Amino acid sequence: MHIPDGFLNVATVATTCAVSAGGVGNAVRIANRKLGEKHVPLMGVLAAFIFAAQMLNFPIAGGTSGHVIGAALAAILLGPWASVLIMSCVLIAQSLIFQDGGLLALGANIFNMGIVASFSGYYLYRLVVSIMGESRRSQLIGGFVGAWGSVFLASVACALELALSGVSPLAVVLPAMAGVHALIGIGEGLITGGVLSLVLATRADLLKLRKI
Amino acid sequence: MKHSFLDHYSEGNSLIHRLDPRTKLITSLLFILAVTSTPPTKWPAFAIYFCLIAILLFLSRVPALYVLKRSLVIMPFVLLIAIFIPFFKEGEVAGSYNIWLWQVSVTYSGLQVLWNVVIKAWLSILSLILLTSTTKFTSLLKGLEQLKMPRVMVMVLSFMYRYLFVLVDEVMRMKQARDSRNFGKQQRMRTVANMIGTLFIRSYERGERVYAAMLARGFDGQMRTLDRLSFRKLDACFGTGFGLALILTNLLY
Repeated sequence: MHIPDGFLNVATVATTCAVSAGGVGNAVRIANRKLGEKHVPLMGVLAAFIFAAQMLNFPIAGGTSGHVIGAALAAILLGPWASVLIMSCVLIAQSLIFQDGGLLALGANIFNMGIVASFSGYYLYRLVVSIMGESRRSQLIGGFVGAWGSVFLASVACALELALSGVSPLAVVLPAMAGVHALIGIGEGLITGGVLSLVLATRADLLKLRKI
Repeated sequence: MKHSFLDHYSEGNSLIHRLDPRTKLITSLLFILAVTSTPPTKWPAFAIYFCLIAILLFLSRVPALYVLKRSLVIMPFVLLIAIFIPFFKEGEVAGSYNIWLWQVSVTYSGLQVLWNVVIKAWLSILSLILLTSTTKFTSLLKGLEQLKMPRVMVMVLSFMYRYLFVLVDEVMRMKQARDSRNFGKQQRMRTVANMIGTLFIRSYERGERVYAAMLARGFDGQMRTLDRLSFRKLDACFGTGFGLALILTNLLY
């Protein structure tokens, strides 16, 4: 879902860069206030964790494989703003080191996989947990729903940006992107649920961290 | 460690390597901006952009084959767009094919979109590869900090870069352990989830240890380093020269 440079037109680039800069700026402010710059080493190691976790592929139907985005997981464990910060750093490093996603397209990529994915993942999780009550089962289901929703909505945002840039018509790109990612989202959901169940079983205190 | 593939060749010593990271960051950004904003019909402009990149690549002495291989990362995205081309119905039809039940026609406007997107993405990727193959990641971060990127982000990025290698080694060991237990059979979703969960707990605990160790050594939220960046005459010449070339190309063609 990493959009390269050249796919988006100047108007879309400018809009998404402005929105993402605002979002990331706010995340920085909130992280500074609530965490202090002292917890930065921890955030850095967790950003490296998302990076490393993306190297583990999982099988999807039909012999293809996907890998986690990780935004929902980060948001559930640390809170949406922390997740925006971590995902932005991961995306910046991916763009600069691996050329995975463009430099000007960074605004759009941070918006899709950072802001949209973190917030949708976090609030879907909270919604499920508040409806079903605080329990192991509700947390796992919430994790699945949050992760699926985060991947799905991020792909919808990506499709909208491509269509607005005139790369391909909305009627084609939206079902294609959303359809593929509805499938990948199932994988992401199962993985996120699995990770949460392991964390709950071994270090449940980590899920009680103060969210930012 | 089995992964020296990150910022490969960045330790070299050439005219391009010696430029200030800020100069390289800003010129790359300008280059990508110029490429993205050029209309698709101005094909001489794209040829000139390519020549500019080729000259810089030659000066930096980074192997061309390596750059070419790395630049293929855009392929999945290009394919995603390519399958949509037949659906551009409007415009003059370039060719029409019958595939089983579907009548598929390729139009000129569709082909133009593909060419536009591919050439722009490819040129931008080439410039990014040039940037990272000639600049160490740490100096890149230093440059970003001087260009007013929030300090927290620069610090998160620099920690991430340091611990990335440690965690990737961890992942490799876990993969090896898994493969030696199930004889390389198709892994199950549950195994991957447990591996990621274990990785998270290990990373978190490592982060806590690193933080405690830094506190013990007097860390107060401030990073202090000795190396300074220097913006020299070479940077000014290169920056203006490259900028002028871009503007002229954009205006003339």
